[in-house]
Amino acid sequence: MNQTVVSFLAQYEFFDFLTKIFGENSLLLTTLIFLIFSVAFVAVAATIGGLGTYAERKISADIQMRMGPNRVGPYGLLQFLADGVKMMMKEDIMPRTADKFLFYLAPLLCLLGVFATLAVLPVSSGFTLTDLNVGVFYLIAISSLVGLGVFLGGYASNSKWSMLGGMRGASQIISYEIPVTLSVLAITLLSGSMSFGKITDLQAGFITNWFVFHNPFAFLAFIVYFVGAMAETNRAPFDLPEAESELVSGYHTEYTGMRFGFFALAEYIEVFVVSAVAAALFLGGYNLPFHISIDFLPIQFVQLSILVGKALMLYYVVIWARWTFPRLRVDHLMSVCWKYLTPIAIFNLVGCAVWMVAFNGQSLAQLIFGH
Amino acid sequence: MISLASYLIISMILFVIGLMVMIARKNIVAILLGIELVLNAAALNFVAYSKFVTNNLDGHIFALFIIVVAAAEAAVGLAIVIRFFQLKETIHVDEATQLRN
Amino acid sequence: MFLNTLFVMSALLTVVSAVLVLTTKNIMHSCVFLLGSLIGIAGLYATLGADFVAATQVMVYVGGVVILMLFAVMLTGGKDFVSKAQNLMGLAPTMGNAWTYGVSALVGLVFLFTNIQLLTRLGTMSKLKNDGAFESTVNKIGHLLVKDHILSFEISSVLLLGALVGAAIIARPRKQ
Repeated sequence: MNQTVVSFLAQYEFFDFLTKIFGENSLLLTTLIFLIFSVAFVAVAATIGGLGTYAERKISADIQMRMGPNRVGPYGLLQFLADGVKMMMKEDIMPRTADKFLFYLAPLLCLLGVFATLAVLPVSSGFTLTDLNVGVFYLIAISSLVGLGVFLGGYASNSKWSMLGGMRGASQIISYEIPVTLSVLAITLLSGSMSFGKITDLQAGFITNWFVFHNPFAFLAFIVYFVGAMAETNRAPFDLPEAESELVSGYHTEYTGMRFGFFALAEYIEVFVVSAVAAALFLGGYNLPFHISIDFLPIQFVQLSILVGKALMLYYVVIWARWTFPRLRVDHLMSVCWKYLTPIAIFNLVGCAVWMVAFNGQSLAQLIFGH
Repeated sequence: MISLASYLIISMILFVIGLMVMIARKNIVAILLGIELVLNAAALNFVAYSKFVTNNLDGHIFALFIIVVAAAEAAVGLAIVIRFFQLKETIHVDEATQLRN
Repeated sequence: MFLNTLFVMSALLTVVSAVLVLTTKNIMHSCVFLLGSLIGIAGLYATLGADFVAATQVMVYVGGVVILMLFAVMLTGGKDFVSKAQNLMGLAPTMGNAWTYGVSALVGLVFLFTNIQLLTRLGTMSKLKNDGAFESTVNKIGHLLVKDHILSFEISSVLLLGALVGAAIIARPRKQ
């Protein structure tokens, strides 16, 4: 049985009160709890995505010594709401020769693929929607819907720029999926599990227990994962699908209003999800650096803020990379993936396996400092 | 509701539809779509049998191998389709009448 | 109850999408409906407690095969062959005569009765209880793959390598 947010809440007293109202093992109660938490997750993720656009502009302004948005709200903090309102008010244009069905479907597929990953995102030991025992695998699998959305968006617009952007996007996403998956597989090898909960629990304690410091191969795997994930989310310096100097804006050239907003939102949320996954797999996840009983409910919020804080730091690195590195060329992009990242990822995988056998699963810190 | 028979009926429907796609369509890619449906129908049967009849995981293993074979088949099949299109400028299945040249 | 809901939704998604694959004229749409059907099958696997197979299904088909199919459609023009054969509703004169239809109807009837016979017997065979609690299959599948089924595992890896190399060689444009 997978641990879910319902089974977590069931150990508290107020849950008994709820079961008195709804009856024992009520499907309605379970559905209600899942619904509330899902809506909360999606709302928070959408807010983070919206704030991501603000952060992007503000950080880029900082790097380029500008002011950035500063008119709407304190420090321009409400700029993303104004942008959202603007997008909703805009006219929804569709090219006359576009493929209507796919044109409507593509942004939704993108958003669906991103939101579906939130189901297994390990935000804290209790509030994780469900701790699937194939969680990591599920997350990688379902997030490839984004690639499909990008591709279909490019095709359905019936425009040359969109078509090229969609083709580039799909080939880039399915290529970079391979090093990313192989790096995640290395962590699966170290932890012996595909469940986010178990992987995070194994990294409990001091910073040396993090998988990124487990052995040199895992450190390399983290770098490969991060670069690959940046490419998979179409972020600069890998933003070939939406390279505005070559392709206008790639697969979403023909999209206006909220449909364009869906694409942008999906991208920003995906960056957050990818950062959170990196934090959970490599950087200790929601663990506090000292042992504490998790039965105390406010601890969950502390864990939540730890994971979100780690993810936001990686988010900052992603934005930082965007405004400091020049964009790659298409053939360079593919050779980076196939000639460098994939062999390195395979080498990491083999290295991790050899390490596990040779040192009986001990980490580097355990070898140096003893137990 | 969830019984072996319902899975077998769904699998049969899928198989028949896949077969009809393979027969009725003349586009080679569409025929490959039909093959995917047929293979998936078979895999669904294997998993259903392993749950309800044998109660071990051999059916799951077989379903995994079917997925592997389907992926390999799709890759090679589509490569052939693309090559065929380069030669003949069409992917109508009735045009594929020659083994050489 | 929850499983039943999931089952009905997945089954509907699978069958309706499969029918749409058959009846849609646009091959691009067919591919997208095939995706729906395959995700529905993943849902059916989930109702059977096959979590790993379901995840693999989504992984391979959504991330790989369907995108590959869409690529192939785009590289080959995505042209529909607007013939009566493609539209099943109006296929009558093109796909056979009275003799073929008679034989196929007979075969279909035999098929149907055999199936009904088999299914009614199998209906009593499914005595397993569904209590909704599945255990993880991942570890067991891993052990089975490297113990009992090691040979087929290795052969499938050779198959994949062959497919990789073969597809790359076949699709490569040759110098005339």
